[in-house]
Amino acid sequence: MADFIKKPVVPLPELHPEPQIPADQLFFTEEEKAKIARFKEQYLEPAGAVMKTLWLAQEKFGFLPPEVLQLVADELGIPYAQVYGVATFYTQYYKEKKGKYVLDVCTCFTCQVCGGYDILHYLEEKLGIHKGETTPDGLFTLQEVECLGACGSAPVLQVSNGPYVHNLTPEKVDQLLEDLKQGKLPPFVSLTLPQDEAELGGNRRSDAEAVESYRTPPIAHHTR
Amino acid sequence: MPRITIDGTVYEFEGRPKLLQFCLDHGIELPHFCYHPALSIPANCRQCLVEVGMPVIDRETGKPKRDENGQPVIQFMPKLQTSCSLDMADGMVVKTHRTSEKVARAQRDNLEFLLINHPLDCPICDQAGKCPLQIQAYKYGPEGSRFEFLKVHKPKRVKLGPRVMLDAERCINCTRCVRFTDEISKSHQLTIIERGVKNYPITPPGVEFDDPYSMNVIDLCPVGALTSIDARFKARPWEMSATPSITITNAKGSNCYYWVRDNLIVEITARANAAVNGYWLPDEDRLDYHRFNENRPDGPEVRRDGRLVRVSWEEAYDRAVELLAGIDGRRILFLGSAYATVEDNYLLKRLAEALGADTPVYIPHIEPGHGDGWLRTDDRTPNAQGCQRLGILPVDEALVRSRLESGEIQAIYVLEDDPVGSGLFTAEALADIPVILHYYNTTNQTLVVADVALPAATVVETVGTYVNCDGHAQRVRPAKAIRTVNRVLMQEIGKSRLDQHGTPYDRWYNEKHQVDCKPSWEILPEVAERLGHPLRYKGPKYIMQEIAETIPAFAGATYEAMGLEGVRLAEIGAEV
Repeated sequence: MADFIKKPVVPLPELHPEPQIPADQLFFTEEEKAKIARFKEQYLEPAGAVMKTLWLAQEKFGFLPPEVLQLVADELGIPYAQVYGVATFYTQYYKEKKGKYVLDVCTCFTCQVCGGYDILHYLEEKLGIHKGETTPDGLFTLQEVECLGACGSAPVLQVSNGPYVHNLTPEKVDQLLEDLKQGKLPPFVSLTLPQDEAELGGNRRSDAEAVESYRTPPIAHHTR
Repeated sequence: MPRITIDGTVYEFEGRPKLLQFCLDHGIELPHFCYHPALSIPANCRQCLVEVGMPVIDRETGKPKRDENGQPVIQFMPKLQTSCSLDMADGMVVKTHRTSEKVARAQRDNLEFLLINHPLDCPICDQAGKCPLQIQAYKYGPEGSRFEFLKVHKPKRVKLGPRVMLDAERCINCTRCVRFTDEISKSHQLTIIERGVKNYPITPPGVEFDDPYSMNVIDLCPVGALTSIDARFKARPWEMSATPSITITNAKGSNCYYWVRDNLIVEITARANAAVNGYWLPDEDRLDYHRFNENRPDGPEVRRDGRLVRVSWEEAYDRAVELLAGIDGRRILFLGSAYATVEDNYLLKRLAEALGADTPVYIPHIEPGHGDGWLRTDDRTPNAQGCQRLGILPVDEALVRSRLESGEIQAIYVLEDDPVGSGLFTAEALADIPVILHYYNTTNQTLVVADVALPAATVVETVGTYVNCDGHAQRVRPAKAIRTVNRVLMQEIGKSRLDQHGTPYDRWYNEKHQVDCKPSWEILPEVAERLGHPLRYKGPKYIMQEIAETIPAFAGATYEAMGLEGVRLAEIGAEV
């Protein structure tokens, strides 16, 4: 109630946002426009191409401030509000400027049980920031995300919408941060689920061997 | 004809209606939130679930299989179906919550889910009392919640635009508001953002929800998430009575409810009428109620020694007659009004005829560029078409001005309009001649020159007919009481009990804020009679009956035929 008395009405957030991309840089090149036109052809309606176009825009501008969303909407000929709704739905689209490396720590069910929050809090302490924040040097942004789909190797984090780091431990996190500071991205790693717990000595974590190529064939054996 | 069995009762149907709409049309209530007949069907609230089965067809014979009792074998779909999106098919068997425990359970559990993050602030919520979520939670919901953890918090009291306030915590994400801006108003100003438990509707950054039809989302919202900034915290639904009527902000005559408390109009909401406004009402119509509450006159006045003095109605009539009696009828200018009802204008025309004056004319109030081709029109008056159908035409300004200057006009009788305010005449030009004025508000600028000022009942206090710009004749009913006793108004006003004339539950019942005015169809006969021309009718119903019988442009427009939805009159050109 006290809050209500202080703020009886909350104004709309960011009614007149300051543009973060200079106007002279805010455009798609002819090449990009041709790409977007190809995206549009792949779908029944132009709205179908919104995700690919947002991805393209994020790669170009680094993040998606309102003026970029407006640019995407204009390019596709769909409502700005719709583009905004899509962009906010996915944590992978960055709505504000992020650090050079974005660490998405999964805290969904499996990772949570296997210590996802421990990893998140360890990172928070180590980097001196809270989740959702960026370090002052602009190198790391820490985010808490929902399931990354790698429950077999929980806890897991993802670096900048790219490679996963599996079976996290504080030591692994330390190593990862050191590597990233030197500009070394972790490699792509494919893990198979441990098939026989007894064979692996009951340890589901560290015995699984990591390879840097797809080990599981895309088509199952029995269907060949 | 294809047949469907719903809860053991067989119904016949045509075409391919959706099951939920069919049930609602046939009085079978099914709980639902996201479905709205005018919008697309996303089936996202999951509240209208029913059990649906089809007869099993024997593949060899192509006929329905029958069990040992000769009854067709029904195979039910393994999962419950959302009735809102389900096309009906011949032979379909439907079990609602009335016959299926499974459906009742599903609806109960779904409501428990919807209520998990819904704040229990019904005691301070404007929607409480008319809230579909509240009503359906009582009817179909669980007895309590098993959710004993912190609820998700979202922005509250967000001013989406100049007229709509958002409380995101109350939202159940039915997306009706988003679909309205996408499909109906086409302003595309709203979207659902975030996902999972965190999502809620809002405008994108830098956009204000200033759609001229924005307030329709308040009617659409099945919870209290979107409320009217104007009506917020003013009155609870059970403190008001709602009267079905029409708005008079423009020539469209959109159907509405006038919500009244203590004889003040508190709110105007949309009333569905497929022939006029569908389910919608523009914001300007909704907010145009101050004219009924504020600056209202207090009884009739006559000018004595240069000042308007409060007198009794009889004295006012006598004074008006005294002023008119000495003047040749042909030298009196009768001004009809596009704000007044057809009945009032008809009586004025009859009076003018009886006195030998020219047919009355009316002052048009056109605001070019105001209309949008939908529910807003350039014409800011509700009854211009009604006047024209009576033969009362727009005034020729130059002509009447020159007639006034040359002294040809020696008196003016104004029905519910403002010739000075609208710029037809200057106050100086009218200073020397008698002016008899029926008026609504004390802001009327003709009052400074009026010799007899007669307060007239507005659309919320009278009984009458308006004809909209498409030729749709519609009745209005009194929503609030006036101070004088009038039998016809008393009969027409909404009553909560048929055996009593008003109870404290009728919100016009107490004596607060009653305006001392009279409908023009009561004033005009009084004046006419004193001038020696009897113009008595038993009420506006009988006036309209006479109009419908004698004037071809109004054929068929009787009160019985008009009812709540009105009557579409023939095109004006049609009978010529």
